[in-house]
Amino acid sequence: MPTRTQEALQEFWATKVAKVGVVFLVTLILISVFVLVFYPLNFGEELWNNPIVWADNPKAVGPSWTQAFSSQAQAEHLIFELPEPVESDFSQGFKRQLFQVSFLFEADDFPQFTSFTMRDVQFQEDPPFVTLILHRPDGEAIILLDVDIPYPEPEDSPPYVFYSEDPRRIYLSGSPAVRLAVATFARRQLNMEVLVSDIAAVGPEKFMFGVPSSQGGRATDVLKGEYTLSVLVEGVHADDAMGSARFVVAGQLFGLMGTDNLGRDLAVGLLFGFPVALFIGVVTSTLTAGVGGILGVISGYKGGKVDMVIQRTVDILNNVPLLPILIFLLFIVGSSLWNIVILLVVFGWTSLTIIVRSMVLQIRDGEFIQASVALGAGTRRIIFRHILPQVAPFILAQLIFFTPSAILAEAALSFLGLGDPSIPTWGQILDRGFSDGALYLGYWWWIIPPGILIVIAAVTFVLIALGFEPVINPRLRRRR
Amino acid sequence: MSDVSLYYETLRGPVQAVDSVNLEVPKGEAVGVVGESGCGKTSTSICIMRLLPDNIHTFTGRILFDGRELMDMTDSEIRSQIRWREVSMVFQGAMNSLNPVIRVGEQIVEPLRVLDKVQKDEARERGVARMRQTGLPAEAYRMYPHELSGGMKQRVIIAMALIMSPKLVILDEPTSALDVSVQAQIMNLLKDLKREEDLSMLFISHDIALTSDLCDRFAVMYAGRVVETGEAEQVLQDPQHPYTEKLLASVPRLRSDVTPEFIPGAPPDLVNPPPGCRFHPRCPYVMDICSKREPEMFPTGDGQYAHCWLRGDEHG
Amino acid sequence: MGLARSLLIKAISLFAVLMIVMGIIVVILGFSGYSDRLLNAIVTQQTNAFALSLPEGTLPEARAQMIADYETTLTEAYGLNVPWWGRLPSMVWRVLSLDLGEARTAQSYAGSKNINAIILERLPNTILLITSAIVISVIIGLFVGIKAATVPGSILDRVTSYFSAVSYAMPTWWIGIIFILVLAVMLRWFPTGLMYSAPPPEDPLMRFLDVLWHAALPIGALTLGLSGIYIYQTRTVVLNTAQEDFVSVARAKGLPENIVRRRYVLRVAAPPLLTNVILGLAGSISGAILTETVFRWPGMGLLYYNAIFTADEGIIVGLTFMFTLVYVVARFVLEVLYVALDPRVRY
Repeated sequence: MPTRTQEALQEFWATKVAKVGVVFLVTLILISVFVLVFYPLNFGEELWNNPIVWADNPKAVGPSWTQAFSSQAQAEHLIFELPEPVESDFSQGFKRQLFQVSFLFEADDFPQFTSFTMRDVQFQEDPPFVTLILHRPDGEAIILLDVDIPYPEPEDSPPYVFYSEDPRRIYLSGSPAVRLAVATFARRQLNMEVLVSDIAAVGPEKFMFGVPSSQGGRATDVLKGEYTLSVLVEGVHADDAMGSARFVVAGQLFGLMGTDNLGRDLAVGLLFGFPVALFIGVVTSTLTAGVGGILGVISGYKGGKVDMVIQRTVDILNNVPLLPILIFLLFIVGSSLWNIVILLVVFGWTSLTIIVRSMVLQIRDGEFIQASVALGAGTRRIIFRHILPQVAPFILAQLIFFTPSAILAEAALSFLGLGDPSIPTWGQILDRGFSDGALYLGYWWWIIPPGILIVIAAVTFVLIALGFEPVINPRLRRRR
Repeated sequence: MSDVSLYYETLRGPVQAVDSVNLEVPKGEAVGVVGESGCGKTSTSICIMRLLPDNIHTFTGRILFDGRELMDMTDSEIRSQIRWREVSMVFQGAMNSLNPVIRVGEQIVEPLRVLDKVQKDEARERGVARMRQTGLPAEAYRMYPHELSGGMKQRVIIAMALIMSPKLVILDEPTSALDVSVQAQIMNLLKDLKREEDLSMLFISHDIALTSDLCDRFAVMYAGRVVETGEAEQVLQDPQHPYTEKLLASVPRLRSDVTPEFIPGAPPDLVNPPPGCRFHPRCPYVMDICSKREPEMFPTGDGQYAHCWLRGDEHG
Repeated sequence: MGLARSLLIKAISLFAVLMIVMGIIVVILGFSGYSDRLLNAIVTQQTNAFALSLPEGTLPEARAQMIADYETTLTEAYGLNVPWWGRLPSMVWRVLSLDLGEARTAQSYAGSKNINAIILERLPNTILLITSAIVISVIIGLFVGIKAATVPGSILDRVTSYFSAVSYAMPTWWIGIIFILVLAVMLRWFPTGLMYSAPPPEDPLMRFLDVLWHAALPIGALTLGLSGIYIYQTRTVVLNTAQEDFVSVARAKGLPENIVRRRYVLRVAAPPLLTNVILGLAGSISGAILTETVFRWPGMGLLYYNAIFTADEGIIVGLTFMFTLVYVVARFVLEVLYVALDPRVRY
């Protein structure tokens, strides 16, 4: 027996497709292991579907490396953590903190948005004043915003601490106060006829980081150079303070794979898709092959009524248009990963049962089994000693062959919006991109990679299955 | 047919399926080719029809048919002048020799219609006549193969082989897939046909009893070579080659106490055949020379020949 | 006679499939409470219509009484006062006749919200797409598969083998997406979707060309996805058939090679090839549903997608039935063809 297995493996390894398939498979497994080690298990609910996590990422922008193919310098994504004030003093009854960061902005395009987040604001009586000032390379400064910190509730007692559990994020691009400040700045310092409504339409960054364009009108060009953001915190008690802050100048490019329209890092989501695809493929195909194989053996060996019931079921399931029924059932029972897997198994086992049954019939009626039965061998012994060893390699090959179908079926269902929302898959990322119009906007980084990954995962198993073909089917072996 | 060799190309090297075979089928006679399976019987018949597979390594020798050298003819000449018109063939395995989706009548007369452009009605007449001759009802003409029994199919195939009135019919194990009773009917049919039509037949079988029933002459093949030829009676009564002797001894006899023997050892690997006489590793009378030189064809009297050093001049 | 009988058996078994699918739909709808919701929606909607139709000037109490009475009558008529298994038969009939009330958001071109009208209007568009894609990919499959089988091991043969493997692993709908991205969005050679330009051309010929232009990408994507399988299957079947004994016999008969190929290889390979098309039918329909979605082709598949999006159960039930019906009918047509091709099944 070991020699037969060895021989089969040699035969398998001799084919080029099998080698490519195995290399692919090992890669898939390694990436999946990496993800399982480094990702939290509730990644989908806690991170992926939580917009707050992704709020500071630029929305729907391409991968960073596309810069290499672009003649324009795209804005990089800049995140500045301001962990502590650069200055802090308390004199004459006034507490003053200054947080500051300077950065070079040399891109040809404006930032997508700007945001400011503050943490651990604490005070004794009245809330402190927090003022955001942007100093520009041309020497001008814009007082962007006086942050409005609410008064404490009467039942609370000092010291009051705000924004510690739940940092306060201000989306500067969308803030009416910022718009007004920038419009005023543009009118006074840039001498441009700009209304607040114009700023609302194009975003304040066009003026915060811009100078009037030579084209005239309300167009602006990027003002390149060193910018400084100052955050002034003013209170009346010695321990009135802001703990830390963060300032984001969102770029037009992000990370390895870009982002979707919620700012989600697609690289993170796509990586998570690896173990999920493998899980769906392998679990579904194993269960399918198991059910199909067992029912095939039972149907072939037992015969009679059991056989008839199984065969009629096969007839029906075989003649059902799969996808519409799957859509209907998933719609009714609700889409969860296990529901998808179970339904794929329920509708997938029939082809294997037919073949295994006919194999078992042939083996059962063979002289060898007849002789064993005559010698008093029990049913169990015959099935495990004589039938299973002959049928098993074939079931294994079919198992591999079922895997790409399962991966593709899940992707298709996800694409139709029937994926398990708590577990991001490649199909779901594609569906999201498609239904949000990424395709028509030309956001290829959102559309192409998940599809390619689906194809690669499926091809891996197709190649391995093709490698097994000459092992299972000697007729093909001779021809090659 | 002289000195014909046919080697197949395989991954392990050329297989010497037919090696320097000499064979003669006199007009109106039936020659039986016998031997174990895999000894090159079928390959020999393929050579005559030139129905060669793709993996040919070597195909040499001379095949003289009715005064014409077949080896000099082009493929299309063979196809249009020899196949079926002069030499037809009944293949091994009656079940798969008929096209399942064409009516058997059409299959029988197809060569007439295609090669001789015979009109449909006339072809049909001739077809039905041949079917009658082989014991088939005329209604079978419009039937499909799956509607016929194994024996009837074999009759269809024989009728098909006779449709062009060929001079030579090659019968490759024509009865091996049939029940014994049907087998007997088919054999009787063949005997009748041979008599009526003055046919030459090359009868290929591993069944010596069947072959002796029909054939005038015998050619015994072993490992791609003809080891003995001669009149049927003589070969059977007085085999000159040790292999023939063993082969005959392996046939069970009805009215005899002799236990059938089997030949020890296995047929040789035709990629690496043993040097000298190919039978020598299994031969009970093996001598020194057997493994060194290939035996020539030694006459042993009355048109019987054997490729064996036992029958030859020790010094030759 | 035998022919009619075997076709009848096929017809009966396919009809049984249709009925069983129907049964599954109806039982699950009842069991999960969806049928109550569905029927309640119909009752509410009809009651509202009734309320509007009442003559003005009716006394408020009398009006409320009349509406309540009407609603009770309807509830009883729809069997909402009996448990779900009690109204299975009427539910079967309801699905069969697509009498499923009104759609939540979808509309027919004429503005009707009647599910029956919406689905029947989309049906021909879907059939157009599926039929042309299957026909084209079968033709390509036959042509290339036979060519590849002629010289096994040739470059064409190897290329088609790899193509088939990749095509098997490549979802049709993703091919469609790539087509749109490259050929429609980037190169602008084709429209990104839909079936007609807006507004559609008046001239019938131009209108036909307009549909053709819009159909090119969806049909192309479906064809690319389906043909790989057909090529591979054709190649395998033709190669296997070419090894049969009767092919050697045909050569021995002195028949010219083209006749051998036509009558002994291709003619014999035809039934198993058709079997492959039959077995691939369900996959083709699935592909069509997804392809329609991608190309916003106004067929039943797109309707499905939108119905899932808006949780429109009436449309989902109706479409599930309709797709089963389309499948069963298409299958029967192919089975008839099969019986015509293969004498072995005629008895």
